[in-house]
Amino acid sequence: MSQLHTPQAGDDQSDDLDVVALLMRQHGDIRNLFDQVEATTGDERREAFRQLVRLLAVHETAEEEVVHPFARQSMPGGRQIVEDRLAEEKAAKETLAALDDMDTDHPDFLPKLRALRTDVQEHARKEERYEFTHIRRSTDVTNLAAMAKAVKAAEAMAPTRPHPGVESGAANMALGPVAALMERTKDAVRKAMGKD
Amino acid sequence: MTFNPLEQRGIPLDRQLRNWRELNVQPIDPDRCDPYTRCRIITMNGIEVEAILFSHHLARNTVDPEVKRQLAQTRYIEAQQQKVVNWLLPGVSSVLETTIAYEQVAVDLTAWVARMEPDPYLKQAYEFGVLEDFDHLYRYANLYEMIEHRKAESIVDNLTEVMPGRPTKYHHRHPADNVRDPYAKDGTNPLSKLHALTILSAEQQTMNFYMNTGPTYMEPIARQLYQEIGLIEEEHVTHYESLVDPGETWWEQLVNHEYNECYLYYSFMEQESDPKVKAIWELHLNMELEHLHTACDLMRRFDGREPQEVLAPELPNVLTFEPNKQYLRELLDTQMDLTTLGAGYVREAHERFEKMQEQIHGGEEPPSERVMAEHQDMFGREYRVQSEGEHPDPAMREK
Repeated sequence: MSQLHTPQAGDDQSDDLDVVALLMRQHGDIRNLFDQVEATTGDERREAFRQLVRLLAVHETAEEEVVHPFARQSMPGGRQIVEDRLAEEKAAKETLAALDDMDTDHPDFLPKLRALRTDVQEHARKEERYEFTHIRRSTDVTNLAAMAKAVKAAEAMAPTRPHPGVESGAANMALGPVAALMERTKDAVRKAMGKD
Repeated sequence: MTFNPLEQRGIPLDRQLRNWRELNVQPIDPDRCDPYTRCRIITMNGIEVEAILFSHHLARNTVDPEVKRQLAQTRYIEAQQQKVVNWLLPGVSSVLETTIAYEQVAVDLTAWVARMEPDPYLKQAYEFGVLEDFDHLYRYANLYEMIEHRKAESIVDNLTEVMPGRPTKYHHRHPADNVRDPYAKDGTNPLSKLHALTILSAEQQTMNFYMNTGPTYMEPIARQLYQEIGLIEEEHVTHYESLVDPGETWWEQLVNHEYNECYLYYSFMEQESDPKVKAIWELHLNMELEHLHTACDLMRRFDGREPQEVLAPELPNVLTFEPNKQYLRELLDTQMDLTTLGAGYVREAHERFEKMQEQIHGGEEPPSERVMAEHQDMFGREYRVQSEGEHPDPAMREK
């Protein structure tokens, strides 16, 4: 692999005025983190996996709060499509929780991670094809931008690169367990959407 | 090499039809496959698409209903082969991911053919074309990082470098300058005929792919880049198809098509790393052997000639997907500034070229340049993979 670093969505210099473009880049970021976990071992893998868990938690929560409600309301057949996606997300979260309890160098870790990767990737493409396409079709630039803002608010809950002056271990402690992170993400998104 | 397709028998035609279960193949895993397995799939899909289209054209020019029926039978089997081959590609890949794989095919297939081509004029045609596909790979790779935040190396896996070739904006030539001179069917090496057919099929499939999938994108820069490169793929089809001697009879062409399919399935069977895919290459080779015999019978019947007169005495060296990095670097060093004039090549931008450039660009930067500017704005750098060092052309090094 080359030494080039692809910054995560929000850290590149895109103006992020389109929620769909933003989420698609995040799908790539998630895939990149899977690569990183698979390619490393020991502490490096542990850290990459922490980042992956955080990004997945925040990304899925943001979708559940921002994208799915919109799709459910505004798309013909949206209710069923969203239900299917939610079932996939639930299954992925369960696998994620099981992995989270396992040592990243355990022999079962990689096979389980790869299975999760396949599920997450299929889920992401289904969102892109059956949900995102309709979102762009059925809303205007103002709403796309408003939803993008909400997703970015979620992302701010889980900084995925070490911030200056903050030890990554300390940052992990501050973020707390995954479930609590999801709760805080929900609050942040709702605030950004003006639903508070 | 002892394999002579003319002396082998395959599966009888009436036993080649597959049911739904047999057609329902397991696709490859895009994150863990051998990139050259995906390249072989894309190549064979292009070959099967050409087989089907050629057979349709032949049928439209055939009067005898009995022969039409015979062509239809073989063609239906070829349509099934195309379905099996192309359905090895996974649904989970995006169009852009598949596009980058198409360009990897164009680069490493054309470079290998150029290296092996015995005729210097034909070799030049491949060397000229490959530098353009090489540049397309670089432009699409930058678009890919913008839209999906993924690097093209996760697809091409360090087997193929990603950096500028002949800049895409200069590929828009006057259409008359895209027509090459053909080889002479009776004098040329039989291998040259197979090369020409292989590359024209691959480029034709790329043209079809871009013309159909380009508008599925919503991002304006993506739509526009597919339009621009799609037009160049049409130029490439013109370029490569004009290498084939138009004096070959329909039946001779049919024999060449079937022989080439045997050659390629045999080649890919020999080098395939994925056992499930290898089994498909082997099965299809055994089907193609019978298609070849049917074509040979038609040629004997309608042309009154023996197919051996136009074919190689034995199968040439297997066509191989392998890295061509050093060869491409030599071409980057020496052939970047070529364009075409008539059926030849020149280094200076001549009047007809300049006029075409002026008209198509309309005083603006084309999508292939704008994609780089937009990428620069987003990341503050370009995306390249230069595993073997700096770009051989100092003018093309990243500023």
